[in-house]
Amino acid sequence: MSEEAKVSAGDVLLDVSGIKLKLGDNQVLNGVTFQIIDRVREGKTTGQVVGMLGPSGVGKTRLLRIIASLDSPDAGKVRGHKGSILQAGTVGVVFQDYPLLKHHTVQANLEIAGKIAGMSPTVARKRADELLATFKLSDRGGHYPAQLSGGQRQRVAIAQQIVQPRQLLLMDEPFSGLDPAALEDVTKLVSEVANLHELNTILIVTHDIRAAMIVSDTMHLLGRDKKDDKVVPGAKIQGTYDLVERGLAWHEDVAELREFAQLEKEIKGRFRNL
Amino acid sequence: MLDAFRPNRVVSKGTTGLIVVFWLAVVVLVWSLSPWKSLPTLGDVYRALGKLWWQQGLGPEIGSTMKLIGHATLLTVVISLGLAYLTVIPFFRALVEGISKLRFLGLTGLVFPFTLLTGGGYSLKVALLTFGMTTFYVTSMAQVVAEIPRSELDHMRVLGASELRILWEVVIRGTLDKALDLLRQNVAMGWAMITMVEGISRAEGGMGAMILNENKHFLLAEVYAILIVILILGLAVDYAMGVLNNAVCPHARLGRVER
Repeated sequence: MSEEAKVSAGDVLLDVSGIKLKLGDNQVLNGVTFQIIDRVREGKTTGQVVGMLGPSGVGKTRLLRIIASLDSPDAGKVRGHKGSILQAGTVGVVFQDYPLLKHHTVQANLEIAGKIAGMSPTVARKRADELLATFKLSDRGGHYPAQLSGGQRQRVAIAQQIVQPRQLLLMDEPFSGLDPAALEDVTKLVSEVANLHELNTILIVTHDIRAAMIVSDTMHLLGRDKKDDKVVPGAKIQGTYDLVERGLAWHEDVAELREFAQLEKEIKGRFRNL
Repeated sequence: MLDAFRPNRVVSKGTTGLIVVFWLAVVVLVWSLSPWKSLPTLGDVYRALGKLWWQQGLGPEIGSTMKLIGHATLLTVVISLGLAYLTVIPFFRALVEGISKLRFLGLTGLVFPFTLLTGGGYSLKVALLTFGMTTFYVTSMAQVVAEIPRSELDHMRVLGASELRILWEVVIRGTLDKALDLLRQNVAMGWAMITMVEGISRAEGGMGAMILNENKHFLLAEVYAILIVILILGLAVDYAMGVLNNAVCPHARLGRVER
């Protein structure tokens, strides 16, 4: 997923500062600011997985669209590694409904992503084959999107976004509507994709607290302020949780830990007031 | 088999075939037993068909009609799809909207200005038929383009596709199955207009001109024979277009829900 850019631990991989957005009379975002910092786990390849938690309708998807350069904010800026300006096409986005080109097979969907990135047809085919194998989709290459299950479709959508080298992948509600078994598969998949390369950074926008906690190493809470029990328009970051520091990231069965349950309860409590 | 009589059930292809045969038999039976004197017997129609084919040149007339509808369909496809795809550019939307509104004009009133424009004859017929089909086809296709979900466009943008590539993959190729499906309906409309259009200028012949000639001499068996030929040919063209759609867009069948 990543370009071989030089990076060292502590580098800022994504810098979002002062994002404001108003739609009509509705102030959706009001000064959203956060950073994603490169972290290194000794002896392991570990990409960053950041959860952006917030209740429905708070503006999470709007923020994601701004980071992906699909929409422009009224104020604020988004910068990538070393202050690079992000443009549409430089950031991968896995949308909630996993759009694919329905008139192309799975294989062709992946190859098109490669060709758009400037790969020759041969290289694009090879890259598509590699990703189909990585995502356990080799037997689905000749299928059309309409012939895939929801989970397979999600994997193809992710694979398509990482055909070309990218450092940042945004995922919009990847856990919504999943049964427990499927949820476990998706959290594993997210970790696997992140760990394909140290620079890989995945920002997950979700309202699923538990799933986000399992998969993330940092979590931000996006929500609105309250003043005298009244909601102040415009969402901003209301809190950040470093799950690595808390010992709740980078190991198996993290959800079984007592501290995990305590933090989940704490976040749920805050979530109700966002 | 009982499912054929229950609401919202799916029946097998074999059962569907039996249902079609049953209704055809009902039509033939009703026709055979019909007390209406104005309705020729099936035997009369069969004999008239033979006469039309061997003595009056029905074959060449069919060829003439097919040439006309084929020509008009080709022009309709080029003009309508060109205009519909242009609606991705806001500047052209009002123009296309205006053209689509012309469908409320009746063809009859347009004969005179179109005659002046084309000089009459074959060109007039092609122009009228093309106008009749284009105004409807462009309306439907512009709607299809307008209804492309924004997420499909954004999906290509995040892959880094240029707007031209998006036009090709999402707008043109992505809606090809719908374009073919709608064309099928519009050709059926054109087919329904054919007798009227061919009647305007009879010199070049065609089934429409032929049917009007038979009408004039009150040869009802011949009229019915030509109508049946028009119906069968129309169904054949419709079927062929369905086969073409399935061959060109195999993905389109996969999303369909059987009812």
